[in-house]
Amino acid sequence: MESLARALQTLVSFLPPDLSAHYLLALTGPVLESIGMTAGAMLIAYMVSLPLGLYVGLRGPGSRFIGFVLSGVRAIPDLTLAILCVIFVGIGPAAGMIAMAIFYTAAVAKIFGDLFKTADAAPLDAIRATGASPVQVALFLIPLKLNDILSYGSYEFESAVRASVIVGAVGGGGLGAELVGTLNGFDFQRTTTLLLVLIGIVAAVDALTVRLRQRPVWLLLLVPPSLYALWVFQPEQFSLLHAVHTIGAMFPPSLDSDAIARLPALIAETCAMALFGTVLGGIIAFPLALMSARTIAPPWVALPVRRFLEALRAVPETVWGLVLVAIAGIGPEAGTIALGLHSAGSLGRLFAESFENVDPAPVLAVAATGARPVAVVAYATLPLASAPIGVHTLFRLEWNLRQATVVGMIGAGGIGQALFEAQQLFFYQAMVAYLLITWVMVLAVDQLSQMTRARAGWITLPAEEIR
Amino acid sequence: MSQRLPAMTSGRRAFVGAVFATAALQSMRAVADEALIRIGMIPDAGATQVSVEEKAPLQAYLSKALKRPVRLVIPTNYNATVEGLGNGSLDVAYLGGLTYIKAHQQYGAVPLVQREADRQFHALFITQAASSIHSLQDLKGKTFAFGDINSTSGHLIPYQDMKSAGINPDRDLRFRYTGSHAATVKAVETGAVDAGACDETVFKEMIASGKADAAKLRVFATSAPFADYVWAARPGLDAATQQAIIRAFTNLTPENDKSILDILRGTKFVPATDAEYATVRNIARSLKML
Repeated sequence: MESLARALQTLVSFLPPDLSAHYLLALTGPVLESIGMTAGAMLIAYMVSLPLGLYVGLRGPGSRFIGFVLSGVRAIPDLTLAILCVIFVGIGPAAGMIAMAIFYTAAVAKIFGDLFKTADAAPLDAIRATGASPVQVALFLIPLKLNDILSYGSYEFESAVRASVIVGAVGGGGLGAELVGTLNGFDFQRTTTLLLVLIGIVAAVDALTVRLRQRPVWLLLLVPPSLYALWVFQPEQFSLLHAVHTIGAMFPPSLDSDAIARLPALIAETCAMALFGTVLGGIIAFPLALMSARTIAPPWVALPVRRFLEALRAVPETVWGLVLVAIAGIGPEAGTIALGLHSAGSLGRLFAESFENVDPAPVLAVAATGARPVAVVAYATLPLASAPIGVHTLFRLEWNLRQATVVGMIGAGGIGQALFEAQQLFFYQAMVAYLLITWVMVLAVDQLSQMTRARAGWITLPAEEIR
Repeated sequence: MSQRLPAMTSGRRAFVGAVFATAALQSMRAVADEALIRIGMIPDAGATQVSVEEKAPLQAYLSKALKRPVRLVIPTNYNATVEGLGNGSLDVAYLGGLTYIKAHQQYGAVPLVQREADRQFHALFITQAASSIHSLQDLKGKTFAFGDINSTSGHLIPYQDMKSAGINPDRDLRFRYTGSHAATVKAVETGAVDAGACDETVFKEMIASGKADAAKLRVFATSAPFADYVWAARPGLDAATQQAIIRAFTNLTPENDKSILDILRGTKFVPATDAEYATVRNIARSLKML
């Protein structure tokens, strides 16, 4: 009870946000820096991942191995990747930008690969039969999947904008450095300002991508500013010899006996965080999704709830974690709630879509019996939506396992915290050992979730989900 | 050697070429950027004034004092700061005692200048005013907050003090890292933990500025003095610049530069030496943190 009162007291100190003109003006620099880093990174990511995705999608020689590498890169917490980039390119925005470029190249290439694999085989075979070269086949494949490429590509961009806050802060600068600064300085009203700015940016990106998907040609307009950002944030140096030496010293990975003895507890803690975070997210998301499904709730309820879900989703797990640590203190609970809040936003939106997309015929049939609206939802909409809801939740669990290692950086515990501490203390051999363990865990859960989905007969979504 | 060269694969030759090209590019850039001094601060150091506007006076002062453009960078973590010094993307960095020792061991960082108080620094053990904790022994079974894992006054020294007092932090109490001194003070003040350890200058500054409530907090133990924060240079930085930086700090006086000294939470700066860190280095070794 006392701790709740304490938390509420701290929560109040986040209000009202500091919306003074001079602070907002001071923020233009960090905002542009964060957006610029994202734009530059994503330009690289799209350029590299499109051919890579095509190659994997067309099952070129060694594409299984490439897929394996891509999954491996994605299993590295983005923050760890960013600090590794500092070793190569020094302190500065370049480190964050390149880390994001690598991470999202892997993520986008994997998605594009999955998308191209699911392309209809018949027209492809026909094209091949004409004696077309692999490049011609690839060029034929792109328009076939253009819609999916655009939507998943823009989901990834949105995700990168959010990630840039924390990853970009590694080299100093951007919104993230400012956010951490306000939290450390107990300048909570400005923290709220920054959260609002972030929510605003994500909403703007969202609105922009919707328009761009209708007129993909306009995408070309974004290339020059992205190139400019790439040039502005280019590495000031590239210390190859230094980096080779430092990275070389990270091998072979090793853990001392104390650390090995602690491993099972750490792994369990990470799994628990992911599991409870997903459950919490689902519990919050479910009623909110019902309230925001346009086929169920009236618009004056659906619209504000939808906005609220978007706000929850716009703030990445780590940032929720940092805020929660300030409010409620550090620990696995903070990590779990952080995962839960962000998951609630993502799952809420996906659940709502699941409700909206159910086959209307059975719903109308139940309604025709004169059943009250509540009964219609309970006996028709819910059972029909249960399969997609299950799939979304499983995907979210996979994602949260990865994120549970990332929120370890804020001291939430588990294998992520061990990894981060090893890195902070320069015990790089131990860090690499923890990275490998994280990687195995992520791959194992990926496999497990795929098997579960197959056994339950749930359709496999064409590619990864929005986060 | 020359006999072997023809056997080199073209791939390897390309690699060697790339290395040389990179080195050349790097030295060209170094010439172009010579005027600019890049200074990094570990996040904790600026914990209470990291907001965009507030770091501007320090940067302006250093730029004026060094007669060269200065870029102040505040990365959000210790590790990145030291790596920045290691590969030369930072010329100077403000480090804690333990981070300095690591940077010195790993990359030969050169100690330049520090606050007078940093030579005889203290870690404070704090608890709530009304708590039953009055000595380190009382910590048994309690919850405790350390700052950042790389912090000297927020982790290394208090950890060692507890061990000397017969308390094994790993077994006898439940501890966690808050990530910063300010967060530790807040965690203790609000009762989120029973006690914590922090940097004395951060604690005093927070009390003085009203960011922490003096009536709610009590210092129940103070560590023996040790050497802590220091401004250190990357090994390759030329001697003249090193000296100029030392002078820029030692010239600060409370009469003329109050705003700068407030940001640095100090009153007087003195040149620093590596020898001061012998004690902290031994402690770090014995605790396997080095």
